[in-house]
Amino acid sequence: MRDVIASEWLKLRSLRSNLHLLACSVAAVLACGGVAFLIGRGFDRQTVEERMGFPGNGDGLGNGIAVAYFVFAALSALAITSEYGTGMIRTSLVAVPRRLRLLLAKVPGLAAVSLVAGQVLAFGMHLAAMAVLGDRADQLLRDGQTLGTPLSEPGVLGSVVAAGLSMAAVTLVGLGVGAAVRSTPGALVVLAVVIVALPTVVKTLPSPLRAQAGSFMIENLPAQIAGVGGGILPPAAAAGLLVAYVAAALTAGATAIALRGRRIKVLAIGTAATVLLAAGPVVVASGPTGSVPGSSLAWTGCADKEVVKEMRCATIEVPVDWSRPSGRKVGLTVGMLPATGVGRRIGAVFAIPGGPGASGVTDLSRYAGSFAELRERFDVVTVAPRNTIDKGVLPYACLVSGPWITLPDSRAEYAALGRRNRQAAERCRAADPDYFDHMDSASVARDMEAIRVALGEERLSFIASSYGGVPGIAYARLFPGRVRAMVMDGAADPFMDRAQGMRSHERSFGRFAAWCAANAACALHGQDVGALWRALVARADRVPVPVRGESSRAAYSGFDLKQAAVASVVSPGPAPGYPRWTQLAEAIRRAAGGDASGFADYVRQAGGSPKVPSFTGMNMTHCLDGLGYRDYEQYRTARLAGERLLPDLAGIELWHPLGCAGWPAPVVNPPAPLPATGLPPFLGVGSWTDFDQSADIVRRVPGSSALRYESDGHALYNSGVSCVVAHVNRYLISLRPPAPGTVCRPAA
Amino acid sequence: MIEVIGLTMRYGGKVAVDDLSFTVRPGLVTGFLGPNGAGKSTTMRAVLGLEPPGAGMALVNGRAYASFPRPLRAMGALLDAGAVHGGRSAHAHLACLARSNGIGRDRVDAVLDQVGLAGVAGRRIGGFSLGMRQRLGIGAALLGDPGVLMLDEPLNGLDPEGIRWLRELLRSLAAEGRTVLLSSHLMNEMALTADHVVVIGRGRLIADCAMDALAGRFQGEVLVRTPQAERLAGVLRAHGAAVVAEDGGALSVRDLDAARIGVLALSEGIALAELSPRGASLEEAFMRLTEESTEYRTGLPEAVR
Repeated sequence: MRDVIASEWLKLRSLRSNLHLLACSVAAVLACGGVAFLIGRGFDRQTVEERMGFPGNGDGLGNGIAVAYFVFAALSALAITSEYGTGMIRTSLVAVPRRLRLLLAKVPGLAAVSLVAGQVLAFGMHLAAMAVLGDRADQLLRDGQTLGTPLSEPGVLGSVVAAGLSMAAVTLVGLGVGAAVRSTPGALVVLAVVIVALPTVVKTLPSPLRAQAGSFMIENLPAQIAGVGGGILPPAAAAGLLVAYVAAALTAGATAIALRGRRIKVLAIGTAATVLLAAGPVVVASGPTGSVPGSSLAWTGCADKEVVKEMRCATIEVPVDWSRPSGRKVGLTVGMLPATGVGRRIGAVFAIPGGPGASGVTDLSRYAGSFAELRERFDVVTVAPRNTIDKGVLPYACLVSGPWITLPDSRAEYAALGRRNRQAAERCRAADPDYFDHMDSASVARDMEAIRVALGEERLSFIASSYGGVPGIAYARLFPGRVRAMVMDGAADPFMDRAQGMRSHERSFGRFAAWCAANAACALHGQDVGALWRALVARADRVPVPVRGESSRAAYSGFDLKQAAVASVVSPGPAPGYPRWTQLAEAIRRAAGGDASGFADYVRQAGGSPKVPSFTGMNMTHCLDGLGYRDYEQYRTARLAGERLLPDLAGIELWHPLGCAGWPAPVVNPPAPLPATGLPPFLGVGSWTDFDQSADIVRRVPGSSALRYESDGHALYNSGVSCVVAHVNRYLISLRPPAPGTVCRPAA
Repeated sequence: MIEVIGLTMRYGGKVAVDDLSFTVRPGLVTGFLGPNGAGKSTTMRAVLGLEPPGAGMALVNGRAYASFPRPLRAMGALLDAGAVHGGRSAHAHLACLARSNGIGRDRVDAVLDQVGLAGVAGRRIGGFSLGMRQRLGIGAALLGDPGVLMLDEPLNGLDPEGIRWLRELLRSLAAEGRTVLLSSHLMNEMALTADHVVVIGRGRLIADCAMDALAGRFQGEVLVRTPQAERLAGVLRAHGAAVVAEDGGALSVRDLDAARIGVLALSEGIALAELSPRGASLEEAFMRLTEESTEYRTGLPEAVR
C-alpha cells in the first residue's frame, strides 16, 4: 500500500495543473480581504450608534471559505475524474488492480496537501481580513461580538484551525464525489451545488429554518466545532457531521468504483458509518430550538393584549409561603421572548424587574427592542412577580397610595409616623394578610427558582434592573450553583450605607448647579444655585412653602422639596435642552418666591397626589427586605451621618426606610452576605447615579467588574444604551466581564 | 504463462466470451487473433481482472492477476496506448506506474531508452503521436521486467521501422523464456511475428495451434479441369474429398492435395486438362476460420465450401 500511496503522491505532484489550481486558492484570501475592505468602508461612514448595529465579520473566514472549499474539492475530484476522462484509469488499474486500494491511496497525499495548504489558507484568510479591518476589528457590537475577532479571542484560534481542517475534509469529499460521478464537469457541478449553491439557498430560508438548515452546511461547521457560533450544533456533533460528510462521499465514491469490481460490501460498511456519524447532529438539531427544551410550562399568547406579539406567556403555581410548600398557591405570569435561533442557543436570560412592584412581563415587552440581539443566543424570560402592584390579589388603588413621610425630630414624632404607616399598611393588608406578609425579595427569588425548574434550564443568566438587584442577590445567596451569569444594572444595593449611596445624587446636584451657571436657559442663571437651594430648604423646614393657586392645602417642607426634586436632579432629560433641569430650576425659582406649585405640578403628574406618597406597594417589599430602621436611635444615627455626607440632599436617603417605621410584618429577608465561593463573576452596570451601588454589589463576587456609563440614566440595558447592551451581551455570551475601568459614553 | 479456463464474460444479456479456454506458453510469441468484436480485448481485460468473469477464470503464472502484490513485475500489459494523462511527461507517467509497484527509478530510464523515448522523456504526453504513445505503453508494460507480456494491438500506429523493432523485441523476449501474447485483427502482421496462434470468433475458440499448422490446415483447394468431371468428382469424394463444381466444368477440390488427385486420376484413367493448387494465404485461412463468427459481416463472398 505504501508504494501505491507514494505513486499517487507522485501523480499529484507531476501535474502542473494541480499547482495552478492550488494557486487559485489565493483567491479565497483575496475574497476575505476584499469583503473586509467593503465592511470597513461601510463602517467608517456610519454614526457611532449605527456602527454598534453592524453585523460582525467574525473570524473573517466566512467570505472566502466557499472559494477555498471549491478549489480544494476540485483539486481532489480531478485526481480521480481526470483519470477517467483521459483513460489513465485503465493504465492505473493494470498497475494497481485493486480498485479500492487505488482510490484510498489517493487519500493520504490529498489530505497532506490540503492539511498544510488548508491551514496556510485559513490563517491567510483570517489575517488578511483582520489586517484590512485594522483597529475597527476590536469595535464591540450590540450582539456582543466584535466587528472582527482577533486570534486572542477565545475560540477564534480554534475556529481558524477547524476551518483549515475542514478544507482537508472538503478535499476528501471532493475525491469521493469525483469517484462517484467519474466525470469532471459532473463532479464540479455536484461540488458547486454542495459547497456554493446549497448554502446560498439556505440563507434565503425563513428564520428558524435558516439557522437549523444552515447548521448543516459545511462552511458553518468550523465555527460550531470551535464552539463560537455558526449554528445550533454542539462542537462534537458538528465535528461528527464533518466526518460524516467525508464518510458519505468516500463511501459513494468507493461504492461506485467497487461496483465495477462487484464488491458491494463497501456500500454496506460505509452507509452504516455515515448513518451513525450523521445521526448525532440530526438528533441534536431535531430538538426544539426556538422554545425551551424540557420546559413544563404551557406557553401561549399572553392574556395582556398590550404586550408585544412575540411574547409568550405561561402561568406557574407557587406557594404563597415558601416555608409551607404544600400550602396555599398563587399563580404567577411568566413571560418569554423566545430565542430567534439565528445563532446557537445558549440558554435563558432572566430579566428581573425593579420597583419593587413592577411587572417584568410589562417591562420586557416595553423594552423588547433592547433584547433583540441577545435573543439570537438566549430565550429572555421574566415574571410578573408576586409583589406586582397591579397583580390584583391586593387592591391596586391601595398599593399606589400611602402616607406622606415627614422627618421625625423626636421619638414621639417617629412613633406617630409609625402609626400612620401601620394604618396605611393594614388598610391594604386587610384584603389578604397571608399574601401581604410574603412580599419579600427572597420569596420572589424562590419563585424564580421554581420558574428555572419549570423551564428545565440547568442554570440561568440574569439581568437585574434597579430594585431587581435585591431578588437577584437573594437568588445568588439561596441558589448560587444555578447562577450562570448576573448583570446588576442600576441595582439597589442592600449592603451599602444609604447616605453613601446617595453621594452620586449629590454629585448630580453639582452638575445641575454647574449647568445653571453656564446656561441662560436656567431660570437660576447668574445665581449661586447651591446657596440658594440650601437657603430655600432651610427656610421651608421652618415654614413649609405652600402650593398656591389650588384648593389643596399642601405645603412643602425642605424635606418634601428634596424628595420632589431628586428625580429631576438625577434625570435631566435629553441633551442639550435638559428639559427636567429647566423645569426644576423654574420650580426652585418659584418656590424661593413662596410658591411650591412648580414641584406639586410635577409630582401630581406622576401620582395624582400633591406630595410624593410613601407607596404601600413598595413598602410591602422594602420593609420585609429589612430596609427600615430597627428603632428611633438607629434612625437618628443615620440622619446625622447623612447630614454630614449630603449637603444639598440630606434626608432623601431616609425617605424609603422611614416608610417602614411601624410596619406590621417582621423583616424576613435582611441583607446577608453572598457566598464566598461558587458564584460566577458578576457584571455591574451603572450611570452617574447608580454606578456606585452596582459596583459595590459586584465587588463582593471575585472576578467581577463594573461598567460605568458616563451619563445619567437608570436601567441602562432596558433603555437600550448601545454600548451597555454590547458589553452586557458580550458578558452573557462569553461570561467574561469587561476589563475593570471600562467606560461607556453616550453617543455624540 | 497465461491460462484462460472456461472463461465466460457477459455484458448485459450478451455473451462476449463464451466458455473460452486456452493456454499461452512461455518461450513463444503467441498471436491472439480474431475479427473486431470477437472478444480479444474482453479476454485480456479478464486476464487483468479489470472485469469480473461470469464464469471460469484467467490466471497469470497460476494466480489471479489482481492477487499479485506487485503485478507489474509478474506481467506487463498494454491495453490502450491512449489511456494516459496528457498532462504528464513520459518520464513522470512511467515513474508513477513504477512507484506503485516498487520499481526503481533507474528502471524508468532504462525502459525509456529501450523504447526509444529517452530523447522526449521530459515532454508532455499530450504532444505525442500515436506511435510514440504505443512505445510509451510498451515501455509501461516492460517496466517490471515481467516474465509475461500481454499487448493489445501493439502494432497499431507504429511505422515500419517501429513494427520491425517491436517484432525483434518480442522475439528476443520470448527467446529469453518469457510468455508473450499479442493481439491483432490482422493476420499478415501476425504471420511474421507469432510462433503460435490462438484464434477466436464470437467469443469462442476457433483455433489454438502453431502458426505453421494453421497455414497447413488451411492450405486450400485444388482446381481440376477434366472432360470427365462427374466421374472424377465421384472418385475424389470416395477418397474423402470435398468437391464443388464450378463454372466452366471445373472442380474445386478440398481435403486432398494435388499430387494425390493426380495419382487417383491416373489410376482411374481420367485425363486432366488442368491441375492447379490454389495456395491459401494465412489471411485467407484466417478469413475462413472466422467468417462464420464475424460479428459485423461486410460484403464478403459467400462461403467457398
